[in-house]
Amino acid sequence: METERSTWVWSGFSIVLLLILHFLFRPLFVRLPLAPNLLVGALLLATLHLRAGHAAFLGFSLGILEAAMALEGMGWYALALTVIGYVGARARDLLFADARFYVFSYLFVGTWLAESVLLLLGTSPPGLVRLFVGGGADALLTALVCGGVEAMTASLVDRQV
Amino acid sequence: MRYLTVGRPESQRRDLVLAAALAFFSLFLAGLSLDSRLSITEVLRSSILAPFLGAQSMFARGADLSEQVTTLTIEREALAARVLEAADLELENQQLRAITGLPGRRISEFAVGEVIPGAPEAGVSHSFLFRTRADVVPVTPAGISAPDGIVGVLRTAHGGSGLGEFWTHPDFRVGVRTPTGSATGILRSFLAPGGETMMLLEGIPFQTDIPAGTLLVTSGIGGVHPAGVPVGRVVEEAESRSGWSHSFLVEPIVRPGQVRVGLVWLVGSVLPSQDSSAAEARGGD
Repeated sequence: METERSTWVWSGFSIVLLLILHFLFRPLFVRLPLAPNLLVGALLLATLHLRAGHAAFLGFSLGILEAAMALEGMGWYALALTVIGYVGARARDLLFADARFYVFSYLFVGTWLAESVLLLLGTSPPGLVRLFVGGGADALLTALVCGGVEAMTASLVDRQV
Repeated sequence: MRYLTVGRPESQRRDLVLAAALAFFSLFLAGLSLDSRLSITEVLRSSILAPFLGAQSMFARGADLSEQVTTLTIEREALAARVLEAADLELENQQLRAITGLPGRRISEFAVGEVIPGAPEAGVSHSFLFRTRADVVPVTPAGISAPDGIVGVLRTAHGGSGLGEFWTHPDFRVGVRTPTGSATGILRSFLAPGGETMMLLEGIPFQTDIPAGTLLVTSGIGGVHPAGVPVGRVVEEAESRSGWSHSFLVEPIVRPGQVRVGLVWLVGSVLPSQDSSAAEARGGD
């Protein structure tokens, strides 16, 4: 019970922190050729702890906020992130997400797929190079940043317990 | 830390239904009219996203200020170098004037101020607000220039601030000449066929040709602008009128969007007006 509460508090804190960083530095991330997608990273980390329906709702809410911030893609962002939230949570259920390396791979593959979905829905600049090279590099950065945050959170939880 | 929270089958069905409903609602949002989507966006940007947007605009202002400081430092260093070079010229000028018996040169006085452009959406894109020291009271209309060239005219001034018009304003006129004095004319803003705002030099006698690339500087006639301030470069001949005069298309040196700092000229007419025509020209110069 204590472990569960501690996990919720620290994970919630790290996810909210990632989301705040994403919305604060969004103009900078958009300008950079390669940047971590902290929004998708935070959503994927949240899906590790939420039920699929709740993860879908979180994705939907974040999609609406992201579209309002980007001034485009209202509905499409929400659709993409709803699907990512639901599929992410279901993938975790099916694949037994209990290993550190799994989290890194989950974030990498999840972000790459998410960026591809956003690209196909027309909310990102199109192009195969962007999809395979830019998307992959962004996914790697996201996995490194968000995986690092998750590893720190896990070590804090383990230390408290 | 464990992540396993596999729900019961009925919970999984409920999750799927919720996700499907949200997906349909997302599609509904995507299909809304632009006005409705903008209304939702505006509500979110003025509530939940307001602190983030405020912080972002603060960062942008900070970056802008730091860029301005760099630009001003470079300009200041360049000006300091020019001032040092000008010291010799000034001495030479004084000696030559003494030899030829000319009176001493009237040194122009300028005050530095901030140029704040009007918002295009408010329909005042040709106007600007000029802010300088509170003790500076220019006699309007007064010329506003940047280190590179002419910016516009200050029309009203009160307590260190005033309203002015960029050279793009339809009423703007300025007397210009070539550096050698081979041609003089009146310059006004002109909307080129491509939609770009250029300048038009009018009233040039038909027999006077001005080659492309010639620099035009203010003539100083009219007393609004000091003489010798760069205005633009001739691009090509625009039109000729019945064999009497022709006009030239001129590329301006300063674009209103580039200017943040301007110099207001505090001295009145340089050339004494011989008749009332100069006073008339001053109103529209």
